[in-house]
Amino acid sequence: MTGLQLYLILGAAVFLLGLHALLMTTDSIRRLIAVNLMGAGIFLIMVALAGRISPPDPVLHALVVTGLVVAISATAFALRLITAAARIDSGQSAIPDKASRLASKTLSDVAEDSRP
Amino acid sequence: MTYALVSLSIPLLSALVLMLAGARLSKRNAGIMAILTSLLSLVAAWFCLLDVAAANQSILLNLGGWENGLAIRLRLSPLSSLLLLFAAFMHVLIGIYAGFSRQSVSRDFWTLSCVLHGSLAALWLSADLFNLYITLELLGLTAVAMVALAGKKAYKPASNYLILSLVASLFYLLGVALVYGRYGSLDVVLLGLQTQSDTTTRIALLVMTAGLMLKAALWPLHLWLPAAHANAPTAVSALLSGLVVKGPIFILWLLWSEVAPVDLAQQIGPVLAVAGMIALVAGGLSAMRSPYLKTLVAYSTVAQLGYAMMALGLLMTWQLPQMHVALWLFVIAHGLAKATLFLAAGEMQTTLGTKRVSGLRGATQTVPVAMFAFAVAGGSLIGLPPSGGFLAKWVLLEPMLSSPQNWPWAFGVLLGTLVSAAYIFRVVAISFDRARINPPDVRPDRLGHWLALLPALMVWGMALIGEWLIEFLSGGGV
Repeated sequence: MTGLQLYLILGAAVFLLGLHALLMTTDSIRRLIAVNLMGAGIFLIMVALAGRISPPDPVLHALVVTGLVVAISATAFALRLITAAARIDSGQSAIPDKASRLASKTLSDVAEDSRP
Repeated sequence: MTYALVSLSIPLLSALVLMLAGARLSKRNAGIMAILTSLLSLVAAWFCLLDVAAANQSILLNLGGWENGLAIRLRLSPLSSLLLLFAAFMHVLIGIYAGFSRQSVSRDFWTLSCVLHGSLAALWLSADLFNLYITLELLGLTAVAMVALAGKKAYKPASNYLILSLVASLFYLLGVALVYGRYGSLDVVLLGLQTQSDTTTRIALLVMTAGLMLKAALWPLHLWLPAAHANAPTAVSALLSGLVVKGPIFILWLLWSEVAPVDLAQQIGPVLAVAGMIALVAGGLSAMRSPYLKTLVAYSTVAQLGYAMMALGLLMTWQLPQMHVALWLFVIAHGLAKATLFLAAGEMQTTLGTKRVSGLRGATQTVPVAMFAFAVAGGSLIGLPPSGGFLAKWVLLEPMLSSPQNWPWAFGVLLGTLVSAAYIFRVVAISFDRARINPPDVRPDRLGHWLALLPALMVWGMALIGEWLIEFLSGGGV
């Protein structure tokens, strides 16, 4: 087995581990970590593929760097959203902004069905 | 090409300005600025359509002047110019609705809608697999942020939507990595000349298809859509259902009609077409049983995307250029009709003070314009002539009816039509129940109602330019 194959298999294994964790857990933070693991697997595959020729392919390195930027911003956004959602679940006020106050007001009258 | 670049960069620049200005710009001014942006982009898209119609072929541009293979390529095809126009029009319409009707939106809506517009325009123009990944990710993140605008109750569905959207893009990215490893190129045009049906290509294409189907909420990966679309604010729901799910479909179409080798496409085609047929029936039945109006409309999106998937599957199986036309006519007709359905549903909800379908009793009398808009747009979803939906369905049916071995597919379309008619008529029938009227809470908002009617009239007007549309799309589908 060549080094390239080894890294490709490793990358695929990390990706599948992440996918497994994603499907098996319900906790949002754990699921987010699982998604990040899947991403790490793909980046591993991409970096390994860059080494298939010599000198290593710079295009794939550039793609991985771009992918990392996307992954970091998406993770930050997801963390903010998940913590906000969790605060609401536990009854604390999340962000007392005007839009959500308005929204909760219109949503609170769900019992309108009992009207004649 | 210049006009296309203008149409793409105006929304992005405007989003940047709106973000930097922040609270310094009043909500009203931010809204006016975003609407003007979409309007300018619409004008640019119109000129760009004229350009392409005159040139009668795709225009390619290598960004930064790099040579082929290294450069990120943009491509302006007749189809992408039409989609640019379509996206800009939807943004103008929904922007006016969000800015001037009674359904108030928060300030962040305007920044996000500009980003959404920009990323959609970039998606229509990209001809590079990795660039498409970036636009896909941008589209997904913006869409999630827009769902979260609805407030606290929407955070949970938004975070679920985000996780699914990230997973879907990762599947797509895995496919991109495999394709690049195999062929050393990401350019759609160059790849189309190179691909062979070997194991790597097969795995890569299947993984990408799975990711894109999850993103586009195509059956059986549609379960996230009703929660996300029904919980968003009205204007956002209309944008999400009318435009955002069409992005991944565009990439899927690009992959299978251009990148994939023909024999592989012919193997996978029937599977997609059957999945489309099941989507039509399953989505339609869910819509029929849904107690809430917005959920009904969201499930109808799942069902209607079945037509698009069926057209794509049959395009792959038969390799008929006519199917390109059917697919994109469906996409545009559905986008317009669905904008009406969501806007009308939102208007009726606020006016009547109920989220339930059963609360629409007497809606023909209390909110006549919105209900009329709903019924008219529903007619296009069912495919009544001479609407845009009928036009698309006719193009789809023609090759099916011409040879007897294709009749089972026509049966699928027929079944889908019946189910669509069932859930639209369910709403319409309840609204005619004038004996037990559900009295409105507030006076109907006239502007909102008439704005909801506008796209419905346009989708029926599509029949007037039907011949030109079919010719334009088949003249150079790519």
